[in-house]
Amino acid sequence: MTEQGETGEAITILLVEDDAPTCWRLHDALVKAGYEVRSASTLAEARSGLGERAPRVLLTDLRLPDGHGVELIRETRRRFPDTEIMVISALGDEESVISAITVGATGYLLKDAFPTDIATTVRDLVAGHSPISASIARFIVRRTQGTPQNAAEPPPGPALNTARLTPREIDILWGIAKGFSYAEIASHLGLSRQTVPGHIKNIYRKLEVHTRGEAVFEAVQQGLIKL
Amino acid sequence: MSEIAAKAPVKPARRRLLVSRLVPYLLLQALILVATILGLRLLQPIDPDDFALSEFSLREDGVARPVTLPHFTSSRYSLADPPLYTGGFTFRRGDVASGWSVFLPRFSNAVEVAINGVVILDSRRDANANRPDRNTPQIGSIPSSLLREGANEITVRLLVWGPLKGFLDTVYVGPDAALRPAYETRTLMFVTLPVVFSAWQSILAVILAIMWLMRRREPVYGVLAVAMVLGVVQAFAPPPVPPVNTSRLAAVLLASAPIESALVVVFGVLFFGWRWPRYSMLLFAPGLVVFGVGLIGGPPLPRILFLVLGIPTVGLCLFLMACVTAAAVVRRQDAASFTLGCAVTIVLICWVHDMLSVFEIVTDERIFLSRLSYSAMLVAIGAGLTWRFARALNQVDSFAGQLVTRVREAEERLKASFAREEERARAAALASERTRLMRDLHDGLGGQLISIVALSERGHEGATITDAARAALKDLRLVIDSMDDIGGDLMLALGSWRERATAQLRPHGIALDWQVATPQGLPLHPELRPWHVIQIVRILDEAVTNAVKHAEARHIAVTIETVDEGQEPYGVIRVADDGKGFANGSAPVGNGGAADASQTARGLRNMKSRAARCGATLNLSSDSSGTRVRLQLPQIFPDSDAAVG
Repeated sequence: MTEQGETGEAITILLVEDDAPTCWRLHDALVKAGYEVRSASTLAEARSGLGERAPRVLLTDLRLPDGHGVELIRETRRRFPDTEIMVISALGDEESVISAITVGATGYLLKDAFPTDIATTVRDLVAGHSPISASIARFIVRRTQGTPQNAAEPPPGPALNTARLTPREIDILWGIAKGFSYAEIASHLGLSRQTVPGHIKNIYRKLEVHTRGEAVFEAVQQGLIKL
Repeated sequence: MSEIAAKAPVKPARRRLLVSRLVPYLLLQALILVATILGLRLLQPIDPDDFALSEFSLREDGVARPVTLPHFTSSRYSLADPPLYTGGFTFRRGDVASGWSVFLPRFSNAVEVAINGVVILDSRRDANANRPDRNTPQIGSIPSSLLREGANEITVRLLVWGPLKGFLDTVYVGPDAALRPAYETRTLMFVTLPVVFSAWQSILAVILAIMWLMRRREPVYGVLAVAMVLGVVQAFAPPPVPPVNTSRLAAVLLASAPIESALVVVFGVLFFGWRWPRYSMLLFAPGLVVFGVGLIGGPPLPRILFLVLGIPTVGLCLFLMACVTAAAVVRRQDAASFTLGCAVTIVLICWVHDMLSVFEIVTDERIFLSRLSYSAMLVAIGAGLTWRFARALNQVDSFAGQLVTRVREAEERLKASFAREEERARAAALASERTRLMRDLHDGLGGQLISIVALSERGHEGATITDAARAALKDLRLVIDSMDDIGGDLMLALGSWRERATAQLRPHGIALDWQVATPQGLPLHPELRPWHVIQIVRILDEAVTNAVKHAEARHIAVTIETVDEGQEPYGVIRVADDGKGFANGSAPVGNGGAADASQTARGLRNMKSRAARCGATLNLSSDSSGTRVRLQLPQIFPDSDAAVG
């Protein structure tokens, strides 16, 4: 069986992972699910792999021997806006996932996930459903609550701009953080269950800081920088 | 007085001190006595002796006899047929261009002067001129048409209302220009000056009254204010001139002096910080008697009483006051007591002078000085009190300033120590957090990694190592997750746990049924710490692991609810499975075996101890239809890990 996109072609995945066993594991799971997978173990390899043809999905680790995955994500997002980007994380911790989200990733994959879960996650992503964990949701909503005014030090963890999130999106994040399923959240908020993943993808998009200039603009908008 | 007397039989040291302090003071008072007498001599107004008329013929009770002025007549209570002094003087028209006048420096109580049979002056029209305690002079210009070239006749009718004897000082007749300066001097000293003092007194009375109203616990001010008010009333109320019969006003005026002097004694006692003895209220009795009699009786009686009771009372009060100040000097040796003491001495001397004058022992011009010196003393006291008040205000200011400085200093110190304390607390918190982290890692991750090492060394392959590694990863995630600030909302931690548990159960094909029975889930616990979260999540993990590994369950239901039975609400988490259960942890139902049983028992023990450590209660029931774990959370999580060890 072969997973196919809207055009009928096989879905191509660029997998960037320097740890060989992990790479095999993910590769096997994805190939078994019918995806067309190209592997790269360094940033340079990944760049050359990108040069040939835009993959449908980019799966990348953050710590690579010759650089940081964040650079690759940023580059890919700029060059191929249609490519879905997922970060491969060992622990799914906020530090790595959030920093990937802010440069354009719309999901994350745990390195030890079961093969079926790996395939499911990628399929959902391609279908426009970004996965989000309770701890990531928790991290984001706690940022939306804001730190007290004139707090001396910025909150720990990666910088995150939550200003553009709507109250509805924040409600959804709360629900996820508290362990409710999409169906439960949808019924609580009076939504259709199918719209929840779309909301989550929107949340990711809104958390993305596109360019340095935009980041400065955002900072000014929020009063973080005084001109 | 009694103060000093009481000090006589005391220890020699104290007596020496007493003597060493009292003697210089008494010497000082003696000096003041001399100075006062000299001063009185020096300040005595000089009269134009060139124009003095001393030789008069007095017709009294129908009998005429020659007298020399100054002259005392007997006291009398009737205004009918007053003593009539007749004298003569020579007038020469060419002498001066200006008019002539009659100048009477001192008389009591009133005079009516006639030149050549025509009345030119009647002092009764000026009520204040007739007060025996004032030394008011009178001057009357003689119309030139009345004067005859050569010998002229002057008659002075002396109107006396007892009990004091009548008095007529030397009469001066001469050119107005020569007499006027002497008159002006006397007016300044004996009329204007008392008015100035009284005005001053009235102002001080108002100030002191306000002070007392604002500071009720200091009656000193009130007492002095009352004394001053009485003095002012006495000074400004015009005394009735007989035969006008307004005896009530006269009574008030007469009673004022003894009451005032008693008030001054009260003031002295209070001012120097002594207690006012109750029986000393007797001091007010004479004044009140004079007042009472004045209200009831006719005109002469209160005046007699005043002479008999009032004036000695004034003297007694002055003497008491002198004793009080002397005692204060001995005790306090401060400027206030010295100054007051000297002032009292001066007033006392003046009073003695007046007494001598009344009893004609000193036959000078019968000038009464008590009232004048007393007014001056009161003004001095008032000024002193105001000064003291201002100084107290300054002290308050500087005290407030000091206080501000001190408070600032204390604040600085407090801030510093607070910062130190905070630093220490932070260090302690960091250390305990580190300890906790070590323990948590040791509890789970360490053991699992070691078992992975052991398994791979023994050549085990596949599932067992995978399970151990996954457990290790799961535990690592749990530890990392617990580090996050969840703001006391356990639901946030349970949300993550649900995710992990679902992922763990999915390969086993077990469904996790998640039910939040109450809308808010679990109550908020601001005191919730990461280690509480870890213990609770590990209990839930253990329950789920048991259900998967040993009970072969197909469904696991987690129910979360808040129980509110009127008191503090508390949370309850239930984990129920549909497995085969185990018989109270002792022997598993079915084909488990001994190893399985002991593992289950250990797991159970572990769960209970973890629950106890964070103040929760764990109930477990198991039968062939499944196992039900009920974890009742505490209303408040314990602060310290009591069951460590």
